[in-house]
Amino acid sequence: MLALGLSSSATAGDAVAGDKRYHQSCHACHGPAGKGVSSYPKISGNPVEYTREKLQAYRSGQKIGPNSGLMIMMAKPLTDEEIENLSVYLKDAKYK
Amino acid sequence: MKHLIKQSLVASVASALVIGGSVAVAAGMDVPVIKVTPVLEGLDKPWDMNVRPDGTMFFTEKCKGLSMRSPDGKVTNIYGMKGSSGYSSSGSDLFCEGQAGMMGVAADRNFDKNRRLYVASTSNKYHGSGCKTNFERCDGNIVMRLTLSADLKSVTDRTDIVKDIQYKPFESNQPFGGPGAHNGGRVRIGPGGYLWVAGGDRHRGVCPQSPELLCGKVLRVDTDGNAHPDNNPPAGFDKRIYTYGHRNVQGIDFRPSDGKAFTAEHGPWHSDEITALVNGGNAGWDPQQNTAGRGACPDQYCGYEPEQMDGMDPAVRASYMPMSDTRFADLMPPTWNNNGWSQGTSSAAFLKGSNWGIYEGRLATGVLGIGFGGTPIGQRIDMLSITPDGLAINAITRMPLGFSKRFRGVVLAPDSSLYVAVDEGEIYRVTATPQK
Repeated sequence: MLALGLSSSATAGDAVAGDKRYHQSCHACHGPAGKGVSSYPKISGNPVEYTREKLQAYRSGQKIGPNSGLMIMMAKPLTDEEIENLSVYLKDAKYK
Repeated sequence: MKHLIKQSLVASVASALVIGGSVAVAAGMDVPVIKVTPVLEGLDKPWDMNVRPDGTMFFTEKCKGLSMRSPDGKVTNIYGMKGSSGYSSSGSDLFCEGQAGMMGVAADRNFDKNRRLYVASTSNKYHGSGCKTNFERCDGNIVMRLTLSADLKSVTDRTDIVKDIQYKPFESNQPFGGPGAHNGGRVRIGPGGYLWVAGGDRHRGVCPQSPELLCGKVLRVDTDGNAHPDNNPPAGFDKRIYTYGHRNVQGIDFRPSDGKAFTAEHGPWHSDEITALVNGGNAGWDPQQNTAGRGACPDQYCGYEPEQMDGMDPAVRASYMPMSDTRFADLMPPTWNNNGWSQGTSSAAFLKGSNWGIYEGRLATGVLGIGFGGTPIGQRIDMLSITPDGLAINAITRMPLGFSKRFRGVVLAPDSSLYVAVDEGEIYRVTATPQK
């Protein structure tokens, strides 16, 4: 796995690709730039390692919090590269 | 927070046909020009609005409270939730959690004289000892009647006129399983000045068909919270109930031509529904376990079965756990079911006024957008032309806004413009101008 070969400071994700992928699968619930809307939490501004770990956990079927059923479903198809791209994009994403 | 917006226009879209670079209006058809103007931005989960004839707008933010935007654009924070700052006063019992918080707002029909607003909110004031688990009644949603000061900037009286709408206090093993789930929350003043309160099933299987619990119901009460004398629920039901068997109603309005109530309701991975309400009718939602051929379900709630944590054909899911179960003799069949999809129909307002042209009388329906299990996300406002009997639609037109967001609240203003709240934090004003 790509993530296993990365140190905490040596991320190879592509923020532009992450932005594009975010709009395909995440934007409708978490809102623009991961700001969090309605009952869906803010997911931007976290370290790359944090987001990567959570997405990997959801992808593996691990339950974290009350919306795990949704997140597991959404994370299932993500590749290692897509997780890395999303994690890098969300680290610095800002709404307005 | 930036409240005043300098720009006056973010989108201007003509919904007429554009042919060869010119706008062509079909003969005999009055197709209005739709324009969108931002009113406020930088809000925190705006949920609902009420607009006065002079342009004063009251609005709620789910986790902050009730505020007022005066015609000159200034915002005054009137009545806050516990922990909110900057409000004239606040309710120490009011809180937000998950889908719940301060939600619907409506004005008394004699507001100009009595300055009364009706506001739905989550409250811990009436929990008593009934909120220790998810399987108790847990009265945690109320409707407040707030009397405002003469300058409309503060509350001089708060009377809780409905105190016993149930609330989900704890997480459960469901999608969207956190506390506060399926909390309904829209309030509107209907014909005769009566107050309508739209509710949700709060993820409890017994709620929608229960005769005494108010979860999963639409209420019709007077402005003191008493049942409308003509409500006609089945024998043994709470007389405040106008309709029952609902899942999560967040849109309600009244057809201008006949005053008939229509609701917009969220579906369970399938079948969002618009429904023409019938006094005492059953919307047909019954997620109890060991019912209608279903066995035991997680936390006694079958609402997302048979595969609640994975996507599947919405039609197959609907056949197992229908939104409108035809085994009920008093079923109110849906007007429209969003083509079998669940995308989050969260608000509804009839378009009144000749300025709406061919769209006059249509039901504007705000869709949040939910894209699970292969369902298109679908963020939009639809304009539905409904048949006179209310049992079907003639046509749907997507409102040409030029953008997609989570459309949480829609309400028509006295000047026949449509105010729209989006979860992202903005409130817009949508106007329709005839071309003829």
